Amino acid sequence: MTERRIKSRMLYSYLHDPSAILGSVILVLILLAAITASWITPQNPYDLEAVSLDYFLVPPVWMEGGHAPFILGTDDQGRCIFSTIVYGCRTSLIVGFSVVLIAGSVGVVLGLLAGYYGGRLDAVIMRIADTLYSFSTTLLAFLFLGIFGKGSVFIVIIAICIAGWVKYGRTMRGSVLGIKQEAYIMAARATGARDLRILIRHLLPNAIPPLFVIVAVDLGVVITLEATLSFLGVGVPLTEPSLGMMVAIGKNYIYAGMWWMIVFPGAALVLLVVGINLFADWLREELNPKIERQ
Amino acid sequence: MWWLATFTENPPVAVLPYKTPHRRRIITERRNIMKKTYRLLFIAVMALICLAAAAPALAQSKMVVAQDTPPRMMNPHGDDSDAGLSYMANFFDGLLQRKGAQGELLPGLAVKWDHPDLLTWRFFLRKGVTFHNGNAFNAADVKFTFERLVDPEVSEFTNTGKQIESVEIIDDYTVAIKTKMPIPWFANNMHQVFIMDKESTESRDPGDVMVKPIGTGAYMLNEWVKGSYIRMKANPDYWEGAPPVDTVEVRPITESSTRFAALVSGQVDIVTGVPVELYDKIVNNPKLTVVSRPARRSIFLGIGNKPGTPTADIRVRKAMYMAINEDEIIEKIMRGHAAPAAQVPDPPTIGYNPDIERLPYNPAAARELLAEAGYADGFDITLTGPNDRYVQDAKIAEAVARYLAKVGIRVELDVKPKSVFFPEVTKGILDFYLIGWFDGTFDMGRTYFKLAHTRDEEKGMGVFNGAAFSDPDIDRLLESTADIVDPAQREKTLQALNKMAMVDKIVWIPLHYQEDLYAIQKGKGIQFQPRPDRWMVYKEISR
Amino acid sequence: MGTYILRRLIQGVVVILVASMFCFVIFQYMGDPALNMVGQYASFEEIREVREMLGLDQPIYVQYLKFIWNALHGNFGKSYVTRVPALGLILERFPATFELVTVAVLLAFFTGVSLGVLVSLKPYAMRNRFIMALSLGGVSIPTFLIGIVLIMIFAAYLGLLPAFGRGDTIQVGFWRTGFLTISGLRHLILPAVTLAMYQLAVLLRLTRAGMREVLTEEYIKTAWAKGLPPRKVIFKHALRNVMIPVVTMTGLQFGELIAFSIVTETIFQWPGMGNLLLTSIYEGDQPVIVTYIMLAALIIITANIVVDILYAVINPRIRYD
Repeated sequence: MTERRIKSRMLYSYLHDPSAILGSVILVLILLAAITASWITPQNPYDLEAVSLDYFLVPPVWMEGGHAPFILGTDDQGRCIFSTIVYGCRTSLIVGFSVVLIAGSVGVVLGLLAGYYGGRLDAVIMRIADTLYSFSTTLLAFLFLGIFGKGSVFIVIIAICIAGWVKYGRTMRGSVLGIKQEAYIMAARATGARDLRILIRHLLPNAIPPLFVIVAVDLGVVITLEATLSFLGVGVPLTEPSLGMMVAIGKNYIYAGMWWMIVFPGAALVLLVVGINLFADWLREELNPKIERQ
Repeated sequence: MWWLATFTENPPVAVLPYKTPHRRRIITERRNIMKKTYRLLFIAVMALICLAAAAPALAQSKMVVAQDTPPRMMNPHGDDSDAGLSYMANFFDGLLQRKGAQGELLPGLAVKWDHPDLLTWRFFLRKGVTFHNGNAFNAADVKFTFERLVDPEVSEFTNTGKQIESVEIIDDYTVAIKTKMPIPWFANNMHQVFIMDKESTESRDPGDVMVKPIGTGAYMLNEWVKGSYIRMKANPDYWEGAPPVDTVEVRPITESSTRFAALVSGQVDIVTGVPVELYDKIVNNPKLTVVSRPARRSIFLGIGNKPGTPTADIRVRKAMYMAINEDEIIEKIMRGHAAPAAQVPDPPTIGYNPDIERLPYNPAAARELLAEAGYADGFDITLTGPNDRYVQDAKIAEAVARYLAKVGIRVELDVKPKSVFFPEVTKGILDFYLIGWFDGTFDMGRTYFKLAHTRDEEKGMGVFNGAAFSDPDIDRLLESTADIVDPAQREKTLQALNKMAMVDKIVWIPLHYQEDLYAIQKGKGIQFQPRPDRWMVYKEISR
Repeated sequence: MGTYILRRLIQGVVVILVASMFCFVIFQYMGDPALNMVGQYASFEEIREVREMLGLDQPIYVQYLKFIWNALHGNFGKSYVTRVPALGLILERFPATFELVTVAVLLAFFTGVSLGVLVSLKPYAMRNRFIMALSLGGVSIPTFLIGIVLIMIFAAYLGLLPAFGRGDTIQVGFWRTGFLTISGLRHLILPAVTLAMYQLAVLLRLTRAGMREVLTEEYIKTAWAKGLPPRKVIFKHALRNVMIPVVTMTGLQFGELIAFSIVTETIFQWPGMGNLLLTSIYEGDQPVIVTYIMLAALIIITANIVVDILYAVINPRIRYD
């Protein structure tokens, strides 16, 4: 099939798959909210001056004791839950996209090289991968915290990338290993094409499709990982909580009956990742050549 | 709980909130065959569970306690934190002990003690005391114990150990300890140094010493499953008489909400370190009671006065003091469970000055002072603090940062785990930090040497002077107290020093004294009087 | 193949060494262990003495070489916090993590695979939507959230299951097990389910995808045509082929979970290795951290070598030069 027909077939299946559309809609909405954060929220929760203890532990506006404009209530420092969720989603998306971009690029390049050249280079790259992979990202995040003194989004991104490129590298390498022996590659080499040309023009386009799915899934995985790190306290700084940290703050208040501090951020996090995964599932179906189509 | 639904048509109401017919009917063929086996197994299991639930009712004199910190080791000298010593106080005794609401110093393994000259302390030992392994207690054990303190491999009391010049055995039950320099508070510390059995400690493998305690204490260690529980059994031959409760099981649970859950579900009888936000829940629960007492620990902010920095100007420090709304912190962050502090030592400590008052909360005046000092546009500063050491420490720091932001001071918050924070304090490189302190000797002198004296590596002063605050007047007055032994004189001089530090110099910004909160199950007849040092000494608790 | 395995093993050793070296470098910036060991009233001099005693005043490479030399003799240093040998401390907690992970993996495997098979048999049944929604949830909800929600429901509101710890355990030789007591088993349920959720969902999807692929293959159609009983077709023929990637994935997960089940162990206060790692990080207990990293590296490298070999055996197209 020509590329055009593949693309239009994908578009067709996309438009007719309700879960894919649902997933993308969720994603787009959250993305929009994150971008327009400062306009749609009543308060900037990361600004020390804007938040005060005057309105702390306020329940959502529809409950007794609620107080507009804090629609979903406030936490124990007086931050508006709704605002913090929106800003938190922004942090999650920034971390997610950055890591996928950086780790993805690094992984793809290294995987290509490792798979194509094999031998020593392959061994070195894969052993580096093993080394970095055996460091729990949590440990890395904490060690960075110890070195730099304070947590920040930037450090979280770096920490996740260090072990995060490995899955891209390994998959790419696996793909390349499988394709390397194919006829057209051998033909290209026989005609004396330069390695770089082979890498970019032949291997890359054919080895990449499985990676699209991995990118989509990885976005969700990275966001979850950032939430976990923040939950444990080794992610974002205390004054700029992300969704994971909000859950950590809220869990101490469950027994006190103040459920809004944990339910809303938890739901937001799950919604975000579900949206991503719905889209990723559809993508995986689409790009999988082996399943019989209707 | 899906498998329950597959057995009966009417699952017990207490088990399922509602019937979920469509859930988990998804059973592969293999499992259908096994359903019958599962049913039988289930009945057997339920029977055993009922049995297990009945069992605890049989053991009468038993107590289960959830403490907030686990013990690190069973070596009584290896950990000098309150949490560690709290456990050790049950297995070991010191020459002296502290009891009662005021922490009165009483005889322990020593029945009498005196202070014949400035350097010598004599202890007259108790006769007829045996260690858990049957060995007799005598002066040789005391000498061994004190000489062990200087070895950093096994002891964190090296400071105390190094103060000792010699330990002389006068006879089997009399010991004389000579210190290198006059130390007025030496005896005050004796309740923290636990006596070990010379013979068994020397003959055992060091690893064994770390996990099996052999002391003279009211309880013997039955079982220590690290990370799970510590079981101890009463020592029937204890010299003070066997303790009232026969078996005590301590479960260290570090997570505060989990501790609360354990209490509410009835799994534990006493809980230490009740989280402040759950206080109301416990008070309103008819099955539980809260026991509280003002803590000895005060929480305060340390500031530097290095020339050239904004905080070198006393007006700036005063402004920062007045910008913080401590009452609101106590009300909203500590949930009312703290008392405002105007100084660092607490009332029972020698040196506490009742005439010192807090500066009032006045952000407008703070702004004025800042403008006067030339900082009308504010300045930047970093506030460092721990996030796993004191009650609500990180949240207090956050609130402080907010208050300062509102008068124009831009604070960067830097909270970190205590293992990273405290080394920074001892390096003296911080600008502004949150810290807490209390001194087990009830004497302010030692504290001030560590906290307020100009940093001096050689003389070992100012180790915890985290911002390297330095003032020659304070240093001078402080050094003059080192020779004063007469308690009344000490009190006067230390009080004057305290006033100078807090009012004239504003060495620290005091915040509050914590409150120690415990919760116990009502109706089990538990008599519990919290100690000022937060130790859980089980021979003092009865039911 | 033999030389390949040997080479991988040597490289594995190199990886472990590099990982530990990396740790040592990072430790220089991680606070001062000497301070945490001396007690609150120590003077500067005492801190310096302790630092000397621990050998922390020497240059990094000297410290490192000493460490490796000792390690070769089985001495991985003593924990700074509890003053007992680091390796023993970690291995002491191994049974707890092992039991938890084993139960979780078995649960995830059997439930996930069964559900996956079920879903692939009748592609458009009603129940499929529900199961797939469940799998979506399992993959999307972070482990810590699952743990907290389970605690809220089963421990806080219903009061049915214990929310923390391991319960009563019995020491059998050197292995402390929770399998032999009711209390131990009850305490195992919530953490195991929490840990299993994600793996379950992943295995479910994997099985489903694999089954869908395989069920359209020619030899399956042949089997149907031959009139073989459904059970045989599904289990003996189709599932067997799908099992290969599923089992390898499970094996890899097992290794990873043993090394990194930190979050679940923290939430449930499970006294396992992950919990130890976290507290060691907070306390700055460097010998334990280094030893743990090396152990984790060993586990993961072994799992990877095994998997790589399996792949080469199964797929003859893959050649390792």
